[in-house]
Amino acid sequence: MSKPTDLVQGTLDLLLLKILALEPLHGWAISLRLRAISGDVLQVSEGSLYPALHKLEQEGWITAEWKQTENNRRAKFYSLTRMGRQQLESEAANWHRLSTAISQIVQLAEGQTSEA
Amino acid sequence: MRIAHSTRLKLRSIFQGRKVESELDEELQFHLENKIAEGVGAGLSEKAARQAAMRAMDGLEQQKERVRDTRGIHWLTDFTDDVRYAIRSLHRTIVLTAFVVLTLAVGIGMVSATFSMLDALIFRPYPVPHPGSVLTLVSTTHDNSYDNFSYREYLDLRDKTTSYDGVIAYADMQAVGFSANPAATPRVRGGMLVSGNFFQVLGVEPRIGRSFRADEDQVPGRDAVVVLGPDFWRHEFAGDPSVLGRKVRLNGVDFTVIGIAPDSFPGLQIFGHPDFYMPMAMVRSFSTNPQKNFLEDRDDREVNVKARLKPGVTLQQARNELAVLAKNFESEYPQLNRARGAAVHSSFEMRTRADDVNWKFGVIFVILALSVLLVACTNVAGLLLSRARSRTREIAVRLAIGAGRFRIIRLLLTESLILALLGGLGGIVIGYGIVQWFHSYQSVILMSDLPVAIPFQMDARALLASLALALLSALLCGLAPALQSTRADLVNGLKSADVDVPGRKRLWGRNVLVVAQVAASLMLLTAAFLMVRGFQHGVLESTNFPKDHLLLASFDPRLIQYNPSQTKQFYKLLTERVRSAPGVQDATLTQNIPLGFDDYEFEPLAFVPENFQMPRDRQNFSVLTDTVDEAYFRTMQLPILHGRVFRESDTSETPRVAIVNEQFAKHYWPNADAVGKRIRLDSADGTPVEIVGVTQTLKYQATMETPMDFLYLPLAQHPVTRMTLTLRSAGDPLQSLGPLKDVVRSLDPNLPMLLTRTYEDYYINKAVKGPSVAINLVGAMGVVGMLLAVAGLYGLVAYNVSRRTREIGIRMAIGANRSDVLRLMMGKGLILVGIGIALGLGMGFAVERLMNAMLFDSGGVDVLAYATVVPAMLLITVLATYLPARKATQIAPTQALRYE
Repeated sequence: MSKPTDLVQGTLDLLLLKILALEPLHGWAISLRLRAISGDVLQVSEGSLYPALHKLEQEGWITAEWKQTENNRRAKFYSLTRMGRQQLESEAANWHRLSTAISQIVQLAEGQTSEA
Repeated sequence: MRIAHSTRLKLRSIFQGRKVESELDEELQFHLENKIAEGVGAGLSEKAARQAAMRAMDGLEQQKERVRDTRGIHWLTDFTDDVRYAIRSLHRTIVLTAFVVLTLAVGIGMVSATFSMLDALIFRPYPVPHPGSVLTLVSTTHDNSYDNFSYREYLDLRDKTTSYDGVIAYADMQAVGFSANPAATPRVRGGMLVSGNFFQVLGVEPRIGRSFRADEDQVPGRDAVVVLGPDFWRHEFAGDPSVLGRKVRLNGVDFTVIGIAPDSFPGLQIFGHPDFYMPMAMVRSFSTNPQKNFLEDRDDREVNVKARLKPGVTLQQARNELAVLAKNFESEYPQLNRARGAAVHSSFEMRTRADDVNWKFGVIFVILALSVLLVACTNVAGLLLSRARSRTREIAVRLAIGAGRFRIIRLLLTESLILALLGGLGGIVIGYGIVQWFHSYQSVILMSDLPVAIPFQMDARALLASLALALLSALLCGLAPALQSTRADLVNGLKSADVDVPGRKRLWGRNVLVVAQVAASLMLLTAAFLMVRGFQHGVLESTNFPKDHLLLASFDPRLIQYNPSQTKQFYKLLTERVRSAPGVQDATLTQNIPLGFDDYEFEPLAFVPENFQMPRDRQNFSVLTDTVDEAYFRTMQLPILHGRVFRESDTSETPRVAIVNEQFAKHYWPNADAVGKRIRLDSADGTPVEIVGVTQTLKYQATMETPMDFLYLPLAQHPVTRMTLTLRSAGDPLQSLGPLKDVVRSLDPNLPMLLTRTYEDYYINKAVKGPSVAINLVGAMGVVGMLLAVAGLYGLVAYNVSRRTREIGIRMAIGANRSDVLRLMMGKGLILVGIGIALGLGMGFAVERLMNAMLFDSGGVDVLAYATVVPAMLLITVLATYLPARKATQIAPTQALRYE
């Protein structure tokens, strides 16, 4: 059984940080949000979600807290830490640089030289 | 910050593991339930929704495992699992565990105790900063590769060498009369004369006060200052800091206390820890040889020289430099330095010098202790092997349900690690006990009034070595059984609790163990036996003059500042009055006594025999001497074989005379009578000395020494200040102690009596009790080794019997009789014993050669030793195989067939 195509290395972290930057969420909500934002373009395996979250927690970028949901159930809510916000900024900047560079390369007209 | 954060999480998962796990479970469960609810909402059945949800998450347990991996504490949880499991399984076989731990403890204890000896004697660095760069400079001659330098030579070394960051000198520790105030009677303490730069060059900062200034060692007799040793300061002055600036009296001269050496610096010597240090310029108050001028005479060689090598300079460069300097000495002072060289040695080289016997005992003890440990380890390996075999099924199950072989080996090794750690702890306790036992013999081994101490201790270094050994033995004992049991045949393993997979490989291991045990313990017993015999040999041959009825007391008039004529007068009156004291038959003065005091070395004398063809490369010979008065041979009842004893007519005015021992006479005049021959002092044109008598050869320094040349000089012609009075009493020699004290008090109440004891007591300590410490130690090793080997052998045969109960039952049922069974069970054990004994004999020979080369020098093979040890070993091992084998013959076939 082959796993769904994984995201580009590291992008899941970026997505999770970004989602949590908006508001603290529990795992299930995060998976719904992921699905909603990315639609069918990005396949995020639900299986990779929790290991990724726990990794971010180990890194100190997000922190977890048990709280009541609106349905009065106990759930683990993740929220961004100060370090996580810095990490998000630097990863977002990285991503921006990288995607700009890649799209520039992709948009190069055939025959153009590198001097252009 | 980040590390702190993740560490907090890691610690939480380690110490609150259960909570963390249940939270993870809850979190995933929450997700799953939502997912199912979503599926049901989309119209799936409950069951299908659950399946879909599980699929989407790639399995719940797998996720958990992946999350756990992110915590990065896997290695630890695995390890704690192993430990928990190992403890449980060791606890199940508590008797076996206890036996294994005890066995290992004995082995490790032996090694750690003996290692602590060897460490103190050889390896422990000088207690100074950067000890590795401190080198020893020695003067060398044909007869002495480790001679001292004279003070003048030291000054040249200090000023003319460039390889060192400072060169220091110190005299041997000596007895000094100490009184805390002028009114008190002096007591003997150990003082050391050192050069002014001693503490600076060594990098030793005083605990309080200061050390010597360079100018305090320049003008003879001017600067009477003293630095106290830390222990002495604590005992004598109760650690009072106000002692600084106070005056104390040393050998009758007032010295000002200027500093206290730090606790970290008990002294440079292994055994002796000086009570105080005086600058060398004050030598006049402490001079050991009144005929020589310590500070001026280039041939008064009494100082030890050490130097700190400059960084970047190699030992070889230092050696080359010193060699050149020694050559210069030789050409500048051809009379004094002929055929005299110099050498540079590291502390290791100095401590393993060929003429020192202590470290050799240390080496032999360690070798023997290691073989005890080896026997212990093989025993433990054997036990673990049988244990692993009875667990074949358990291991096969584990392998079958997917445990990796490495994982199982790790588990088994964890078990032996725990065993070894317990054994190591036990070993430390036993080692500590042995060292304490050794310390209890301190006064016997080191008979001295000076502050000397046995330096062996279970310090951090010894503890570390014990633990390292424990780990090593864990590997040694545990690896083989672990490898073997995981190689088990799964199919057979699952079928039966205890299978005997046919094959030579498996049995081979156990056989090797038994052979090694028998061989090693035979070697140990041989060594023990040889040591007993070696010492006995020495004792029997040593001193066959009557040793009872002799009382000793030493005097050192320098302690109260007698001049030479006062000293002469004192000794004259002393002997006269003692001889007429009640109960005293006779009395004599000697510089030293047979099997001499450790504090006083026999003085060497350089000489040339007249009309003797000297070897081309030698200027003179050297012989150890004793200075005695005319009553010596009479009082000691030592026979004169030819010629005469010293007479009162031998005075400083008459021609010089000497008495030599038989060994000396035979050495230089093998075919003639030595009496009437003459020797010349120092060189062929030196003062002539006529040999007037030949006496029997004794043991002079130790019971183990080989017969050596010896020469006696008459006191009247060779005055010595420190003498020992030996008196022969009619009855109990201790009865004469009172009268002797009265005589001394009537002569000078301030003069202390040193080393007062009976000669018999001294002799028993030195020749009997001292060696018995070594004999007991080695003997204990031999017995322990043998017991372990016997236990191992017994265990092997007994194990075989129990394993083959069924087979034996069948054999007996179809007609085998008891002797057949006995032969079957004992046969292999006996073959192993045979091989072991043959090997052990070889190892015994090797140890004998080693001991002969290092200690006893008796040469030849001690047949009696082998004739005793081998049959004893044979008897015991045969018994160890017979007892369990006999059990096999008592098996009832009907029962055996029902077995299992």
